[in-house]
Amino acid sequence: MIVCIAVVGHQNNPLYIQSFTEADDALKLHHIVHCSLDVVDERVNNPKKSGPLLNETFLGLLYPTENYKVYGYLTNTKVKFILVTTDLDVKDADVRNFFRRFHAAYVDAVSNPFHVPGKKITSRTFAERVSTIVKAFGLSSAG
Amino acid sequence: MDPARTPLGRMLLDEITPVVMVIRTPLVEEACRKNGLSFVEMLSPFCSFSNIDVPVRTASDQPYRIQKFKLRLFYASDVRQPDLQVANERLKEVITQAGEKDLSNLSSDLPQVDELLSSSESEILPSWFDFFNKQLIRTMSFSDHEAFDHPVACLLVVSSKDEQPINRFVDLYHGDQLPSLLNDGAMDPKILKLHLLVHDNQDGAPEKASKFLNEMRSTFGSNSSQLLCINSSQGGLVEHLQNPWAPFKTDASPTERLGCFLNIDDFNEIKNLMQDLASKHVIPYMEEKVRVLNQQVSATRKGFRNQIKNLWWRKGKEDTPDASNGPVYTYSSIESQIRVLGDYAFMLRDYELALSNYRLISTDYKLDKAWKRYAGVQEMMGLTYFMLDQSRKEAEYCMENAFNTYLKTGPTGHQNATRSGLWWVEMLKTRDQYKEAAGVYFRISGEEPLHSAVMLEQASYCYLLSKPPMLRKFGFHLILSGNQYKKSDQIKHAIRTYRRAISVLKGTTWSYIQDHVHFHIGQWYSFLGLYDSAVSHLMEILSCGHQSKTTQEFFLKTFLQTVQKSGKACEVMRLPLPVINSSSLKVVFEDHRTYASSAAAGVRENIWHSLEEEIVPSLHTARTNWLDEQSNFISKRIKDSNICIVGEAIKVAIEFQNPLQISIPLSDVSLMCELYVRSDDADSEANSSTAELQNDETTKSIADRFMNSDVSSFTLSNVEFTLEGGGRKMVQLTVTPRVEGTLKIVGVKWKLSSSVVGFHNFVTSSVKKIQKGRKKNKPSPADNLKFVVVKPVPRLEGFIQSLPEKVYAGELQQLTLELNNKSDLSVKNLKMNISHPRFLNIGNQRNLNMDYPACFEKKTNGVEQTFPEQTSNVLQNVFLFPEETVVQGDTSFLWPLWLHAAVPGKVSLYIILYYEIENPESFMKYRTLRMLYNLEVLPSLDVSFQISACPSTLEEFLVRMDVANKTSSKNFQIDQLSSIGYQWEISLLQPTDSLYSSPTLMSGQAFSCYLMLKKRKRLDSSEGNGSRSLAVSDIQLSTEGAGGMMYDISLSPVKDFHNVERLQHGDSQEGDSKTVDFVLLSRPLNRETDAGVSDGPSLFSHHECHCSVISTSPISWIVEGPRLIHHDFSTSFCEVTLKMTLYNSADAAASVRINTMDSSQNVGAQSSDASTLASGNQAGWYYVSLDSELKVTSDVSGIRMKPPSSDNVSPFVWTGSSSTKVRLPPLSTLAIPLQISVFSPGTYDLSNYTLQWSVVLSDNQGNYRETRPSSGTCQGYSYYLTVLQST
Repeated sequence: MIVCIAVVGHQNNPLYIQSFTEADDALKLHHIVHCSLDVVDERVNNPKKSGPLLNETFLGLLYPTENYKVYGYLTNTKVKFILVTTDLDVKDADVRNFFRRFHAAYVDAVSNPFHVPGKKITSRTFAERVSTIVKAFGLSSAG
Repeated sequence: MDPARTPLGRMLLDEITPVVMVIRTPLVEEACRKNGLSFVEMLSPFCSFSNIDVPVRTASDQPYRIQKFKLRLFYASDVRQPDLQVANERLKEVITQAGEKDLSNLSSDLPQVDELLSSSESEILPSWFDFFNKQLIRTMSFSDHEAFDHPVACLLVVSSKDEQPINRFVDLYHGDQLPSLLNDGAMDPKILKLHLLVHDNQDGAPEKASKFLNEMRSTFGSNSSQLLCINSSQGGLVEHLQNPWAPFKTDASPTERLGCFLNIDDFNEIKNLMQDLASKHVIPYMEEKVRVLNQQVSATRKGFRNQIKNLWWRKGKEDTPDASNGPVYTYSSIESQIRVLGDYAFMLRDYELALSNYRLISTDYKLDKAWKRYAGVQEMMGLTYFMLDQSRKEAEYCMENAFNTYLKTGPTGHQNATRSGLWWVEMLKTRDQYKEAAGVYFRISGEEPLHSAVMLEQASYCYLLSKPPMLRKFGFHLILSGNQYKKSDQIKHAIRTYRRAISVLKGTTWSYIQDHVHFHIGQWYSFLGLYDSAVSHLMEILSCGHQSKTTQEFFLKTFLQTVQKSGKACEVMRLPLPVINSSSLKVVFEDHRTYASSAAAGVRENIWHSLEEEIVPSLHTARTNWLDEQSNFISKRIKDSNICIVGEAIKVAIEFQNPLQISIPLSDVSLMCELYVRSDDADSEANSSTAELQNDETTKSIADRFMNSDVSSFTLSNVEFTLEGGGRKMVQLTVTPRVEGTLKIVGVKWKLSSSVVGFHNFVTSSVKKIQKGRKKNKPSPADNLKFVVVKPVPRLEGFIQSLPEKVYAGELQQLTLELNNKSDLSVKNLKMNISHPRFLNIGNQRNLNMDYPACFEKKTNGVEQTFPEQTSNVLQNVFLFPEETVVQGDTSFLWPLWLHAAVPGKVSLYIILYYEIENPESFMKYRTLRMLYNLEVLPSLDVSFQISACPSTLEEFLVRMDVANKTSSKNFQIDQLSSIGYQWEISLLQPTDSLYSSPTLMSGQAFSCYLMLKKRKRLDSSEGNGSRSLAVSDIQLSTEGAGGMMYDISLSPVKDFHNVERLQHGDSQEGDSKTVDFVLLSRPLNRETDAGVSDGPSLFSHHECHCSVISTSPISWIVEGPRLIHHDFSTSFCEVTLKMTLYNSADAAASVRINTMDSSQNVGAQSSDASTLASGNQAGWYYVSLDSELKVTSDVSGIRMKPPSSDNVSPFVWTGSSSTKVRLPPLSTLAIPLQISVFSPGTYDLSNYTLQWSVVLSDNQGNYRETRPSSGTCQGYSYYLTVLQST
């Protein structure tokens, strides 16, 4: 199950954080997302690890915490997507697919002429779309 | 890098050293206590040797030398595993002490992340970490699974005062006193024994002691017997520079008394004794033991045969049931011996030997499933690899293996795991693998809060020190650690870690995390009673618009509670709640400009300027006047600054915003000002320079001073309101100076929830604002909020009574301007200027009490009421009040005004009133009062006129008037239509009664009517109302209401407004003969009045100016002649004479050429019509109606060209000259005779002629109305002539 999804701007400022749990763990998830930025930075600054694909946007598993797995994705505009999940065996392909759809949703959201770049994403449509994608991810990984 | 020099290396050389067990008699201890030291403490400083230089030969034949060496001394009672509980207490104490020491830093500035990054490791790490780690490792000492803590030697100490010292020696090393390690067989009880006799020199000369020594030597052997004389100093006043014992005292007793009886001789004696002990006894003993053990091990385990045997033997043992820790190994077992051999070799720095033995034993233990021992050996292997500086991978693998294996062994193993973890961490740190080190710290953090807090904090510093620094993880682990500190009640440590975490988060937008951190720091500070710091942190979370409503309430409540707890009036600079919108700052002050309303003050200055220009003496001269009179008094600086007047308020508008969802009550919102009473220039300079200081303390002190003392010199307004959640409110604050001087507006203050006073300083923000150019009228930014207060001068207050906000277009209303002067001084020379004379006009004072609208009714009794014209008072647009007008005292001055809503829409009426001050000593010569009224004019009647020349008669015009009621609910009664102009007279085409079924116009209704406009005879106009009044002709359109009363539109306000309308529409002269103006008067029928719309009796006048009477062609003509002729065609053809009258309506002379055409293809007009008509239906003749005429004339170019018929011979011919050319003077008529000859009876259309005209323009009229054509051709009108055969 996806616990949290986040969009972080190129100055590491949070643009969108949505958790999908009932529990009051927003702060914890904020911390996890915030910390994973360190790993994103590390991945980006040490390109030798990222392998032969220069334009690879998918950063893979950022780090496993006790209960969560954190995946990262970096767009060409240095916007980061962070995915926090409790599933312990997640296929990379699933995550990639998820991020691809999420990226499309993000692009649509920021293409809105009323969206101010670098400001938080407040679009309700975006939120709905994200939650659909998240639900779909849960189904695909379960099935 | 030499591994021995690394932190881990040094630690190992310190910690893994031979242990000497000390057993002493109570009297020995007593002698040492005189120095404030125990016996072990007394010897401890001399146990580490930096340059012992002892040759060592272990298993190999090659000796090597040891330089550094250390012995660890322990009382026999301490040689056991420390009690876990006690150890934990002790660790806690260490942490608490460290926390107390850090308290001083708590109130210092927040650390900056850059500073942290640039400072070295030792500066960042709290110094007590090392100490803590060491203590932590020590809690794991004296375990039976490892041998390096096993005592190598035993030091038996007896005092010379003891009875029978020899027996005491024997007694000491006996039974119960010995540690369990020796008793339960974990180690060899036969250890090296050394005997020491301690003699206290204060108890007398050492002779007796020497005697005992000899005895001892004979009993125990000369080598193992020593004498130590202490306390040689009698006075007890020996001062030790750099007291060597100080570092070894753990409790905080005063250090200066330590060793006070030990003089330099004792010093040297102890030193020699210990060196002797190490080099002559311990090391040789260990060498010997290593060699012996090595031989044994080689004999039993080395070599192929032994290995096979060992394997087989171990396999055989596999069936035996496993004890939890594997089998018990006694000291005599080969496994224990190998371990001892390895540890001794390690302590003697023969790492190769140690490593080979550890390897040997590790497999054995693994096979035996003795996991704890296996882990211990793995740990030592890792350390040995490290000390050998080989194979990092192996070292790390061993450490990890040890760590995991320890963890496997259950709860007791955790302690050991922690130790191996700490060593592992040190190993990683040495190799700059900080990130991995942090991971290890995280793994050893464990369950126990305090322990994990310290470990997490150390982990966080590892993240900070890693390259590149991982700041976010640093912050995260600090917060985790702080949380754990809090759980174990170490609040000071918690605050410290959280504060460091702030440095990471500062300047980012991760507001949830920031709120969490600040909130907890605030709470903890208030827990500690440091309310100031608590408040400053809680303040950071006040404007938390992103949090949920409950959280916001909770934060605010906590903040207010904390403030209350602090117990004092809390004054906070830059309180973030509410948010002050600095860019909204607007200052309105009145110097010579005064404002009737705040709306007037908001108008841009240049609008007022344009209005003022005509009535105010130029700015330059005004300034000069001031300077002339007071140049020695007012410095240039003051001249350039803003001026305000004693007793007159300066208004400051500022916007408050509430970022929260909850509403916040604000009270005591007022300005902060300072006023310097101006005694002389020097003083004011000094004052202003102090005011330049802008740091917080100064401002605060200014605020204090202002609030306490200076109140008398000015008064402030106080506002109280509640800001709704998410709301914003523009607040107007005023300050009224009471004395002359320099007034400076510093900022604004408010009270939040009636407990916290917040300040906002304007000056810092206003500089930015000025750069944006938002400020209204300021020459120099710095002086923006600085005012020179001058003596009181009179100030007029004015307003217009009962000016409605909404009126309908065309409405005419009488208003009254009221002026008040509160001061004793009078004002004179009043002038007024109005921006929109179309809407607002100045009346005559005599109108004041008139009955409106009845005053406009034409007096039928003949007494014509005439108003004196006021042209003398009107200087262009400026109205000059009569000279004698003086406004003073309590009486208000009234003057009538007329409002006429000219056009629909919204309009702002700007009114400027200028007045001069009578007192010549006044600072100002004049002032202006600026009034602004916004008027919304709703559409009412839409009136349009269309005028077309009447083709049948010259100088008569048909007027079509279309009136539409555009209102939604109002009904109008149309009373009267007047035409204005000398030459024009309007009349109805039909009597009123028959024309209109309903004289009222309901809302949405429209109607049209036709009227006749005639040219007046010249005579009438010349003897009319005289040159100054309007020539008017009225018709009454309604039959009911007003009693058939007509209105006189030549009276003042209507006429004035009409003039303005005319000016508005164009600049042509009144007497222009080609245009006509109409005024439609109507009255609303009061059915229901709309709210906000003017009420009461009123009159509507709609002005339509410059309605042109000229159609596209300036030439009009009419053909006159008989219509029906009886003629006997048998005698001759019939000749008909016609007369064409031409009229030139143009200004210039025109030449007209009339072409008659006989040719059928050009004429043909009569053809079909004429033939059908002629064919019989003579009875169908009818008079061509006006309507069709109108239609034709109004659309000349639209005349149908009838299709030419080829088969008809023209039945008539033009017999006059076929082409006549005449010249028409301007505005004149000319008659031309025409003649036709008709050959047969019938009806004929005589339209087959054309008129070609061209206006002859003179030079000065060259560009006059270029839109009009200067020449053209007109098709002839239909003119039907019927000729009958006479009988």
